[in-house]
Amino acid sequence: MKLSHFFKIVNITIISFTIFTFKVCAVESIDERVKNLTLELRCMTCQNQSIYDSDAEFSNDIKKIVKQKFEEGESDRDIKKFLVERYGEYILFRPLINYNNIFLWSFPFILLVFSLFFVIIKTKRNKA
Amino acid sequence: MSSLVGFLSLVFAIGINFYLLLSRYIFKFQKQKFNLFIRLSSLLTLLSFFSLMYAYVVSDFSNYNVFQNSHSNKPLIYKISGTWGNHEGSMLLWLSILSIFSFFFSFTKNIDESFQRLTLIIQSLLHILFGLFIVFTSNPFLVNSILVNEGLGLNPILQDPGLAVHPPILYGGYVGYSIVFSIAIAGLFQNTDDEWLYVAKKWSLISWTFLTGGIALGSYWAYYELGWGGWWFWDPVENISLMPWIAGIALVHSLMMVRGEQAIKKWIVFLSILCFSLSVFGTFLVRSGILTSVHSFAADASRGIFILLIFFIVTGFGFLVFLLKEPKKSNALNLLFINKVSALVINNILMIIATLTILLGTIYPIIIEVLYNKRISVGGPYFNSTVIPIMIPGFLLMSVAPILSWQTNKINNSKKYVLAFIILSVLVLIQSYFLDFNTWGFVGLLLGFWIILASIIAIFSSYIIKFNIKFFKIINPHVAHIGVGIAIIGITCSSVFQNELDFNLNEGDKFNVNGKTVLFEKIETTNEINFQSLRGKFLFDIEKNQSKEIEAGKNYYPVSKMITSEAGILHQWNKDIYFILGDQKNNEWFVKVLINPFVSFIWLGVIIMVYSGLMAVSRR
Repeated sequence: MKLSHFFKIVNITIISFTIFTFKVCAVESIDERVKNLTLELRCMTCQNQSIYDSDAEFSNDIKKIVKQKFEEGESDRDIKKFLVERYGEYILFRPLINYNNIFLWSFPFILLVFSLFFVIIKTKRNKA
Repeated sequence: MSSLVGFLSLVFAIGINFYLLLSRYIFKFQKQKFNLFIRLSSLLTLLSFFSLMYAYVVSDFSNYNVFQNSHSNKPLIYKISGTWGNHEGSMLLWLSILSIFSFFFSFTKNIDESFQRLTLIIQSLLHILFGLFIVFTSNPFLVNSILVNEGLGLNPILQDPGLAVHPPILYGGYVGYSIVFSIAIAGLFQNTDDEWLYVAKKWSLISWTFLTGGIALGSYWAYYELGWGGWWFWDPVENISLMPWIAGIALVHSLMMVRGEQAIKKWIVFLSILCFSLSVFGTFLVRSGILTSVHSFAADASRGIFILLIFFIVTGFGFLVFLLKEPKKSNALNLLFINKVSALVINNILMIIATLTILLGTIYPIIIEVLYNKRISVGGPYFNSTVIPIMIPGFLLMSVAPILSWQTNKINNSKKYVLAFIILSVLVLIQSYFLDFNTWGFVGLLLGFWIILASIIAIFSSYIIKFNIKFFKIINPHVAHIGVGIAIIGITCSSVFQNELDFNLNEGDKFNVNGKTVLFEKIETTNEINFQSLRGKFLFDIEKNQSKEIEAGKNYYPVSKMITSEAGILHQWNKDIYFILGDQKNNEWFVKVLINPFVSFIWLGVIIMVYSGLMAVSRR
């Protein structure tokens, strides 16, 4: 059996599992949502620590605010927007996908696509 | 006195290197004499380093650097490690390690004489650059202008056995790339045979192994000293060490390709220059004060500019030679879908993309601040969602890569691997339902187990099992990859399946952790030599006779008026139970308990990687 077949099988299994996975983890409790969101926020008074991990006064306040806002039914995006207005984009560990950061986010995938082309072209040439 | 000796020998060492640099064009040396001078300069640099260390050990506060960074009532080990616990001293350590590498390289046998000499001359050039940097901007031998009996003390967070050995090991990696750089440049100039590739392979493996050890020590230190429960934070300084490490993986693997018939010299030279440039660039970022961290010490703009200058000289010189003296065109790569060559090419591409992504993420906030005067953060979530997906195909491939053929795209026993992969996927899926299902957890566990399993199948089906050194050398690539697999399992479990429990407790309370009863015995305060300690004492699993005692608390260092947290960790083979003592509120102590499953696997994986790095060095 050729390896290409082998990799096809590997791909199919991975894709089907991933689809499966996304269906499984649909519902999250409020505490989990608070955890997931505060893990991506910077504690402004600490050194490179997330709000979730930090016990600083600032972090505890933000945790309370985030929890309260989730209970009021606001979405992740609303809360992030609120925090950015108050503290600036510096608070977000995950940079926003906007005009300024487009290069940051697209760069790895552009590189990946280019190198993929490079490999495919080189491989084809060898076969011929 | 010792400061004077140190300064003079530092200057003399630089002088000798100038002499050697000129010697190429002016004086003609015998090989013996040339090597003698190289060794002399190395010994002088070491003498300079040890005289600084001596000043630290005897607490000679007439030395300004000692006065700034030491204190007479520190334990001896921290007096010694204090030598490199500051900017000036650590740069001297950097230079000393550079000359140690030159020293050992001058003993290399079976190597073209003029090639060796050229390599050492490039080392001399680097020695001069960094030496002048130390003399003019970071002199550790300045005389203290006032008479004092006591120093200002070392940053308490650095007073730790892990951090005492972390910098020398890490520098072994960073600076080790300097010799790889010099070899590559010398190889470009001589451009005769490919012998230098084997020499480069050995030294790049040595550097990579040091770097692995250094990074692991650093993150182990972060794990038990910072008291945050994690061990990797995508901190800029961590990223900086990760870049040459990943580029080093690419370098080591492309040097493997030399054993097959196609030497991709050009790419290897590029990577060698890149690795050392990244090391110097990392030093610049950390020491210029652009990034704030425990590593940055006192910021001084002139230093940053000087290192930036060195960076441009080194990188510019490197890439200029690279462009002008391009290696002869080697034969085309034998790329097939999928043989060993293409697997190694894919590895290289992915590693370089990962390196560049980390580089971009690390400097992007600086770029944005300069352009738009706005502060943004690029943190863990960015790297997790860019770097990790890029690496995943590489992880899939590495399981079988060592047994792929150089020529064809056939793989022996491929049915076995497919079967193993399918069974494994089902097993991992089933077990993941028992834990909370998590995509990353699933992918990580599957990858980790797959790498281990495939490597084991490969070992058993491709080689005859014997228990001698030769056999272990043959299977070494698989062993290294098993190490990576184990580390991936550890990383996945400890980050995805970490469990956190919070308690508010009085002394004497009992509470439940993971089904075991824990007693919060008492709070104790003691006075140590150079700090006051506050410890919460816990007895873990009191129902058993051999209950274990855990201490978690804080230290207060009066000299520098700093508090450090000291986590109490109970190590078990399958999990770490991590106690953090918080503050007291309303007569109750806040206690956080983290259950980190399989953390020990990370360190085990790293130990295996270091082992196989050493094994690969001894190969040939």
